[in-house]
Amino acid sequence: MLDGLLNWVSFSNPMDNPFYAYGDVYNLPYDIGYKIWELIGGTLAWLLNLLFPDNGVSSFLVSDAVMNALAIVLMAVVIFAVAFIINLTMIWEERKVLGRMMDRRATRIGPLGYFQNLSDGLKTFLKENIMPAKADKMGYMWALSIVIGSSVLIACMIPLSDRWFIVDYGTGLLIIFALFAIAPFTILVAGWAQNNKYSLIGGMRAAAQLISYEVPMLIVFASVALMAGSFNINEIVHAQAETMWYILPLFLGFVVFMVAAIAEAERIPFDLPEAEAELVEGWQTEYSGMKWGLIMLGDYFRGYVACALGAIMFLGGWMLPGIGAGPVPELVFLLKVFLLFFIFIWVRAAHCRVRTDQILNIGWKILLPLSVINLIIVILIKMTGDMPWDMVIGLIPWDSIRGVIPWQ
Amino acid sequence: MAIKYLHKYPKGKNARTLWVLKPMWVTLKKMFKTTFHRPVTIMYPYEKEWIPDNYRGRPGLKFDECVGCGICERMCPPAGIKMIKTDDDAGKTVLRPQVNLGRCMMCGYCAEYCPTNAMIVTPDYELAAYTREELIYGPRKLAWPNHTKMMEVDIEEHLMSDLNKGILNRTVAFYNIDKPELVTEKCIGCTRCVKVCPTDVIEMYTVGENDKGKPIRLPKFELDKCVCCELCVEECPKDALWIKEVL
Repeated sequence: MLDGLLNWVSFSNPMDNPFYAYGDVYNLPYDIGYKIWELIGGTLAWLLNLLFPDNGVSSFLVSDAVMNALAIVLMAVVIFAVAFIINLTMIWEERKVLGRMMDRRATRIGPLGYFQNLSDGLKTFLKENIMPAKADKMGYMWALSIVIGSSVLIACMIPLSDRWFIVDYGTGLLIIFALFAIAPFTILVAGWAQNNKYSLIGGMRAAAQLISYEVPMLIVFASVALMAGSFNINEIVHAQAETMWYILPLFLGFVVFMVAAIAEAERIPFDLPEAEAELVEGWQTEYSGMKWGLIMLGDYFRGYVACALGAIMFLGGWMLPGIGAGPVPELVFLLKVFLLFFIFIWVRAAHCRVRTDQILNIGWKILLPLSVINLIIVILIKMTGDMPWDMVIGLIPWDSIRGVIPWQ
Repeated sequence: MAIKYLHKYPKGKNARTLWVLKPMWVTLKKMFKTTFHRPVTIMYPYEKEWIPDNYRGRPGLKFDECVGCGICERMCPPAGIKMIKTDDDAGKTVLRPQVNLGRCMMCGYCAEYCPTNAMIVTPDYELAAYTREELIYGPRKLAWPNHTKMMEVDIEEHLMSDLNKGILNRTVAFYNIDKPELVTEKCIGCTRCVKVCPTDVIEMYTVGENDKGKPIRLPKFELDKCVCCELCVEECPKDALWIKEVL
């Protein structure tokens, strides 16, 4: 045992740990957490062993069970930190691109203005924390917690690649969609609980918006799952890698999904619940200080989830056609996410806010028929069984392309 | 107002599609344009816009050329100028303007009306201060060392009489042609106008004797140096002086 303690920087393979939870699938964030704990706990154990040779605590700190438990804790931290950094990057992207579209320069603090978010967060943190006297305390705080909590939860549940995930759900898409749809309902509760007319109108608008876009969005989810034959995100991505990106056969579904995702993330053309020009800040009016800051952060987490779902369902996830996963599949996936988020920003820069009756019209009269047509296309493709793009794929010399790529 | 640009909006069969697509195209075009060229924003603290030589920033003062006539104090629209007593380089107590920049609206009237062009407009516009006291600029603080000819502003006008005569290119300043006139019958010879005159152009001279044998003294104006500040007119206890306006 002493040898094991002295070689605390050995960085052993986490898959050798008998408590490893993922079977024979490699998990990168677990590995990172495992190695971080090998450094921290191994150092502690080594120092304790120097002071008190052959004590029980040292061997306890580096035992398999403790290593596994603390690796999982550190893995959660790593996954959240990465999702948070992605989120900050997306806010930064929005600020820079929106600035250029508006013929102005954007943030300038730090390298390329990246640290503006941090200074904004600090400023929000220093603001006074006010709660209205006649607010319903329970609904006020619980709605806030659920909005932020569900947003952060689904942002952490998004797998960046087949090695960067928490749990490989069989029904991943369904769970993410279910958690995605909780927030608009709690917005209604939050609007009611604040005892403020603007908040209440904002909450009611959130409910009106919810019923108009959720149905077409769910049908698009169903059509993609039907196309891939699974709700598992990993299998959807691999199904696209085997055939082609679903954006080509299901372009209609992609358009419907993007419109509904913008509404889901409450971004500009469909930001009826917030509508800072009409309702002060909509359902967020009475949330002050860091509560508001966290709500904004949660909004961008939801934007990230919407873009990530779009990348998974229509742009092939972390796979590239002909190349496969590549050396850094997380980076490929994030580039696709940022590309989709660019479309969000572009729409935000180009369009003005729609009215409540207009979004109901768009949802029920345009998106719903389009999503049903999309579903019919999927059913026809599955019924014929003969993929119409097989002929197109056959024309591309995949073998010669693969030949020049070193990592295949 | 929207009607004015109505022809620019999409019309016809594809109007609804164009209403969605056209703004997307416009913003994308703008993004590429501002990415490869520069946006209209001027990065103010790092780069500053060009300003002309006679830019009307805060007023400046040439201490030695000022005669302390107080025209600027009377002309200042927001009443931001106050004449205060101060020591000049020779140690003599003189009147000089003090500007409260918290009130100043940068109109430049003080520089326009200054008869000796001692008041100038300066290109200084970064005037933020932490207290209101810091914004009160005394005569010495108003100095602007590198002043140029362009910073002096003159107010000159066409005279109606000139225009009637057909002289169109002659402009004059009021302080060169409007001069004080004396109503001899009212004057009591108190010499207050002599004491108050900032340019020392008034002298008293004796015109005769009265019934009791005392000399009768009247002011005499050396009009070349007079700047028409009207201080003598205001000071006169018997309203014996008035400004003769040349029209």
